[in-house]
Amino acid sequence: MLRPTPAPSPTTMGHFAPETIRRGAIACLPLLPSTIIFGAVLGVLASQRGLSLGELLFMSLTVFAGSAQFVSVDLWRETVPAATIIIATAVINMRYILIGASLRPVFRGRPLWVKVCGMHMVADENWAVTMTQENLANPGFLLGGGIFLGVVWATGNSVGYLLGGGIPDPEVYALDFAFTAVFAALTIGMWKGKVDLLPWVAAAIGSIIGHYTLPGTWSILAGAGAGVVTAALTWRDDMDDTSPEAEYAVDGRQAYGAPEGTPTPEVGK
Amino acid sequence: MNSFPDLTSFSLEAVLTILGMAAVTYGMRLGGLMMADRLPQHGRWAHVLERLPGAVLISVWVPSALSAGAIGIAGAAATVITMALARNLFAAMAVGMVLVGVGRYFIGS
Repeated sequence: MLRPTPAPSPTTMGHFAPETIRRGAIACLPLLPSTIIFGAVLGVLASQRGLSLGELLFMSLTVFAGSAQFVSVDLWRETVPAATIIIATAVINMRYILIGASLRPVFRGRPLWVKVCGMHMVADENWAVTMTQENLANPGFLLGGGIFLGVVWATGNSVGYLLGGGIPDPEVYALDFAFTAVFAALTIGMWKGKVDLLPWVAAAIGSIIGHYTLPGTWSILAGAGAGVVTAALTWRDDMDDTSPEAEYAVDGRQAYGAPEGTPTPEVGK
Repeated sequence: MNSFPDLTSFSLEAVLTILGMAAVTYGMRLGGLMMADRLPQHGRWAHVLERLPGAVLISVWVPSALSAGAIGIAGAAATVITMALARNLFAAMAVGMVLVGVGRYFIGS
């Protein structure tokens, strides 16, 4: 697609254009097999823990966060330990504060209602796919991926719940590794230049240390924290990116990670 | 176990617990964005915010690759290298997953 010379303002580009939503959904297609299988595994677990299918689907569409749901359903008992479950959810999902913060360029210059509507269906997967898109700055793309993953996730839940077992072990087909693989691959798309090197190394080291010393998903916060501190410490006055790409990003026209002429991942084409 | 799966019952405590989970999760999603909106668009904070997605992403997958053992580390390395060379998400995922799947089959995890 040829980009017109005058920057399209967020209003002319639309907030949630159907075409953009569709592209966002297609971009998350590689995640279909693993999402449906893990959704089914959660469905089996939920049927054993005494949640009704309705309750599980209600959770999947209102909470919409895989790892927190696994822990919560695992904690579920006849008398629901509500406080424990909500605190566990908050701890596991704390990374969404950082994920939300990093979505600033996607929502730049858009009205509050778009942020309120667009921030619900944000999972790690459609966030990562969106952040590496060339035309990043569109909440419709993010929402499209979120809707797609939500439908697949809920379908998987229902299948697992109704079958109550007999779901293939995700590890056999390395489907558990799909999430690791997609995040590892998309990291390449986020590379903006050598300013990323030290913060990324710090994030890797921080998360590795966190992995061995901290429980659960605290390693994500340890790594992200190390990366943020390193980025803050390595910043210099002359680092302010005034290249055209960066200006586009500020205008909400161009993306992180994919300056003009750089090949982009074959997603969403 | 269950004679027939319980499809539609909604207990009050379940609904309230789920709403609590949803509220904290959505609150952090939207709250993170709102906080970032208040940070300056240039300078140190903007620089930090631009490094944030990569740092979060790395911190998500590096520990999970370690959890998958030596074959997981090899699979992640293969994925990253394929992506850097081919710039194709499908190909990169496929290489990593096939390596891990085959590796587990022959060596065990």
